[in-house]
Amino acid sequence: MHEWSLAEAVINSLIRLAEDRGATAFEEVEITHGEIMELDTLVFRTAFRELSKGTLVEGTRLVLKEEKAKFKCNNCGAEWDFETVEKILSEEFSVIEEPSGTKESALHFLPNLAPALLKCPSCKSRDFDLASGKGLRISKVVMRT
Amino acid sequence: MSEMSDILFEEARRRLSQVRNIVAVTAGKGGVGKSFVSTSLALALAERGKKVGLLDLDVHGSSVPIMLGLKEEVRAGKEGFRPVRKHNVEIMSIGLLTKDSPVLIKGKDKMDLITSLVALTSWGNLDYLVIDLPPGTGDEVLWVIRVIRNLRSAGALVVTMPSMLSRSVVRKSLRLLVDEGIRILGLVENMSYFKCGKEEIRPFGYGSGEDLAKEFKTRLLVRLPIEPRVEKAMDEGYPPYLASNELKTTFSSLAAAVESLLQKA
Repeated sequence: MHEWSLAEAVINSLIRLAEDRGATAFEEVEITHGEIMELDTLVFRTAFRELSKGTLVEGTRLVLKEEKAKFKCNNCGAEWDFETVEKILSEEFSVIEEPSGTKESALHFLPNLAPALLKCPSCKSRDFDLASGKGLRISKVVMRT
Repeated sequence: MSEMSDILFEEARRRLSQVRNIVAVTAGKGGVGKSFVSTSLALALAERGKKVGLLDLDVHGSSVPIMLGLKEEVRAGKEGFRPVRKHNVEIMSIGLLTKDSPVLIKGKDKMDLITSLVALTSWGNLDYLVIDLPPGTGDEVLWVIRVIRNLRSAGALVVTMPSMLSRSVVRKSLRLLVDEGIRILGLVENMSYFKCGKEEIRPFGYGSGEDLAKEFKTRLLVRLPIEPRVEKAMDEGYPPYLASNELKTTFSSLAAAVESLLQKA
């Protein structure tokens, strides 16, 4: 459900961008989202559409691109992907989604928490880097002036 | 184009700008009782009928959940994380998510983590947000400085204790706050004395709080006693500042002083 908060942040950011550049509307906005965030694109699109109503972002064509997550251990050099993470992620570190009551990993909300919630699957070290796939960015915009 | 850190930093700033008053509790020195002061101040403000939030930004050594015996899991709705409510205070802490796990997180990742946590937390309508900061003048402190620098009703409360070492380290924190244009609300001198009958014993000496207050043209707002019953209170699951009447009265007057200082903003 963090899709709603993220959509709100993106819309506010786009409004600031348009004001800075003197734009009146957006033709297209491309958002690149990290795989580790497990963004529900359907919910994000709904949130984006609903929250942008009445703003200059309303009606923008939204393109969503997922970026694959890549982990690399600084201790043993092992590299792994998000599929491996899903197998080793403990339920202990969960957030309860409301109103459904389902459990979501805290990692999806806060990807930077990875070294606190995970260990290298090979050597069990927490000294690893998440090289890609953790964030969300506005990767392309087409504005109307 | 815009990165997540920028998008969410602006969202974090927007959410915090909706809080009426922000008090950042800092020290520079470890072990002087920042978390005890932050937690107790938040509870004392709530007892005065204010809507209060407590944000624990001590990423590596989060203490607030332990201090208040929080076992609740964090919940999230459309608007983001819902803080855990205890003793009429809304509480959010990295420690609620990481439990007993060590938090090995570096540089920019730490800044981004704090940004995301604050950008995704929905505080509702708060009169006061008390922010508990870790020791030192690192990323967490810098993050808060960046956010509160331009807020009208925000300031820092600086905790010290009466020792030469504390005076020297806390002085650096005070200098940083002055250099960065952060309003210093005042000082709190923790572990100042204990009472033996009617006599006040000062095991760590005199002067740190008063000297620093004079040097930085601010006020020593309160001196807190050494109170062994604080540990017992935490063990038994009630708020540590209720360990003695003296502590309760002192925190109540600290809350009143903070309120009055921020009203003058």
